[in-house]
Amino acid sequence: MKPYELVIDHASCWGCRTCEVACKQENRDPAGITRIQVLEEGPEIRNGEPHFLYHVRVCRHCDEPPCAEACPEEAITKREDGLVLLDPETCIACGLCVDACPYGAVVVDPEREAACKCDLCFERVDHGLVPACADNVCPGHCIYFGDPGAIQREITEKHARRSRAGEGP
Amino acid sequence: MPEFKVSNWEKEMEVYGYDTVVKSHCRMCHGGCGVLVYLKDGRIEKIAGDPDCPINHGTLCSKGIAATQLVYHPDRLTHPVRRIGPKGSGKWERISWDEALDTIAERILDYKDRFGAESVVLGYGTGRENEAVIYRFANLLGTPNVLTAGHFCYGPRIATTIITCGTNPIVDYANHPKCIMVWGNNVVISNPDCYKGEPFSQALDAGAKLIAVDPRLTRIAARADVWLPLRPGTDTALALGMAHVIVHEELYDRDFVEEHVHGWEPFVERINEYPLERVEEITWVPREKIQEAARLFATTKPAAIQWGVAIEQQVNCADNNRALLALMGITGNIDAKGGQVLFKPPRMVNVGRFGAHDMLPPEQAEKRLGGERFRLAGNFAIINPKCVWDAVLEEAPYPVKMLFFISSNPLMTRGNAKEVYRALKAVDFMAVSDFFLTPTAELADIVLPAATWLEMDYIADFWKRHGYIFPRRKAVQIGECRSDHEMLNDLAHRVGQEAFWWDTFEGGLDFILKPLGITWQEFKGMDHIRGEVQYRKYEERGFSTPTGRFELYSTLLEQWGYDPLPQYREAPESPVSTPELHKAYPYILITGRRIPGFFHTENRQLPWLRELHPDPVVEIHPEAAEKEGIREGDWVVIESPRGRVRQRAKLFEGMDPRIVSAEHAWWFPEKADPGHGWEESNINILTSNAYEHCDPAMGATHVRTLLCRICPETAETGEGP
Repeated sequence: MKPYELVIDHASCWGCRTCEVACKQENRDPAGITRIQVLEEGPEIRNGEPHFLYHVRVCRHCDEPPCAEACPEEAITKREDGLVLLDPETCIACGLCVDACPYGAVVVDPEREAACKCDLCFERVDHGLVPACADNVCPGHCIYFGDPGAIQREITEKHARRSRAGEGP
Repeated sequence: MPEFKVSNWEKEMEVYGYDTVVKSHCRMCHGGCGVLVYLKDGRIEKIAGDPDCPINHGTLCSKGIAATQLVYHPDRLTHPVRRIGPKGSGKWERISWDEALDTIAERILDYKDRFGAESVVLGYGTGRENEAVIYRFANLLGTPNVLTAGHFCYGPRIATTIITCGTNPIVDYANHPKCIMVWGNNVVISNPDCYKGEPFSQALDAGAKLIAVDPRLTRIAARADVWLPLRPGTDTALALGMAHVIVHEELYDRDFVEEHVHGWEPFVERINEYPLERVEEITWVPREKIQEAARLFATTKPAAIQWGVAIEQQVNCADNNRALLALMGITGNIDAKGGQVLFKPPRMVNVGRFGAHDMLPPEQAEKRLGGERFRLAGNFAIINPKCVWDAVLEEAPYPVKMLFFISSNPLMTRGNAKEVYRALKAVDFMAVSDFFLTPTAELADIVLPAATWLEMDYIADFWKRHGYIFPRRKAVQIGECRSDHEMLNDLAHRVGQEAFWWDTFEGGLDFILKPLGITWQEFKGMDHIRGEVQYRKYEERGFSTPTGRFELYSTLLEQWGYDPLPQYREAPESPVSTPELHKAYPYILITGRRIPGFFHTENRQLPWLRELHPDPVVEIHPEAAEKEGIREGDWVVIESPRGRVRQRAKLFEGMDPRIVSAEHAWWFPEKADPGHGWEESNINILTSNAYEHCDPAMGATHVRTLLCRICPETAETGEGP
């Protein structure tokens, strides 16, 4: 188990996209380059019931990251604490990692000639600060950072308290 | 492993080497959220939520974070300018503050002398916490004409709640309502007054039942226990139908009704005109759903209604509000803990007194434009915009010679934009105070550079009804920009009002706070002040209405010649009211759904926010899109009997295929020509501002529900796909 992780409670997302702007404020990426993105699922009528969900797309820092495997330059590495980091200096912007990522969480920044993805604000984390998107930004409280087991329990309890406990994914 | 703590400002300062953190209070919308502003070398580097603020608890929205890009935007006006070419030519020259304010003062005094003070109209747009100071200036000048969004935004809530129960009942989120009915409001995306989306989320996490009334399937609607997708514009009928269920199933609060309600019998007679068969036919909502929602709302205590502006921008404006107030009242949720509370502000000089309404001579108040026609509005110092355009263009009932818009872009936000343009073009003299040269400002004679909220000291949430006030502390100074408060304080001295103003506006802040026994400098050292919180105050004191009761039957509306009970009116244009027109314009157009990042006409210059939503988007159901030959992402033409605009199509399955949903307030700051594309996608090219289409009591312009047709742009130009 990783010591800390970014955990997203998609069912609690309102689609306000504050996390996207919080990420921009931290990373100052140019327009069009997004490390975190809120996507819509629906709206539609599913089995006669209205369905509309948001999904927050962001690097999952996989246990066995396919992006790292795909990288010919070994620019993507996994740290001991589980963070998957991409070194823009080594990266040649070939885009193989973009294709390899099953979550669509990597993009190529043509200006910097390097791929770009969420690095979990590792410099913040190393200094004991919470990643920008998870730092008490979300008005729906759907982005968590910390011990994944404890967070998952918290989310489960929160959903159980809700009026429609089973609602969501 | 390090200990992780959110909103850890001390560590943030240490790690990033910030020099200072200023606690302040955001105003990217109407205000509300506490913020931490981090500075390095005198420059804002980061904005985050203030965890100590009871409104947002450290969270923030995209707009608040991106405020840094507003402050330092290269296109900002940082000194006063005077137009040197024809109107709309985009030719300006820099002038000094003295020259700008002397010119404006001269014009004001000259028009007042020649045509009366009423020929000078001041204006603001949506609430930007400069309302009180603008009214003060206008009232002391003697003009009864302050043109605001108040006829169809928040003003109706103030007016209808005051006449019904004394003040605006606010959802008591801090005490977790057990049932929340969100009515035509996207509280988590939009810019609600008083409380924001975060406490709403918390209440749901604590287990509140949720009812959503919205023609569109929002995420709130998807999470709701009951979603009522009503036909746009039929809110009053739906609310009265719910009241019908609550009354006839005896789910109402009998004690409250017997002891504290005025007009129960006539109210019951009125709702008897709204049996569910009829309501279903009007609203398209199946009667079982209406029953289910009514029962859930009436039997879950405490319950509250989260309402907003959508129901006010309609011909049924006042009655929509009054019908929802009736639901709050008869279920006993008014002034109940966790329900809907009549919060008391701190004991300060209140907005009304500061606004100097009692200083306007009665003979001048009588001249208020449209005051005779829209008497509910007139009694609350609110005017309908068309009255101003008519007075400019036709000099009837008297000439308006000068417009002074402060934080307002009426060319984009008022009904019948073409008429607004004609009036702004024709008016003798116009001054504007704003951040940028907006399409409205481009038609002005003088434009003043306004300070953003990060560049001023102010008592934030001064006019709110949740009972809190917060210090908004100045963080930076940009160019020669001045807050609207400082600007008017200065201008007041140049038109002979100096006895009622101060050396600097800090004196005004001290004046407001004086009854609390503190100065601005002392308040600056505090987090907030809240008025005393008490529930069910009516049990001892009654309600502040003429009868002392909760007026389901409004004695004031009756006195002003209106129906004292809420009634449903069909929209001026609809499949029902104008079936012939409907043949040519077969879709119901709804406007103004909220988008993250923008606040009406604002923020389209800010890269972090524009990136979220680069183009104006019109939603159309896939079935309708197929019929019209429209594909996802196509530029399409939306047309009403009054004009046509273009937006980009998004196929949206979450609403009835007979509805089309367009965005409002779109202009294109990136376009260099002085019009900045104000006509291209501006939905108010399509809306009507005819008096007979406005709410008869409030003068609200009916901009939310009309008829349209829609087709791909290529079909018009003949170009193939």
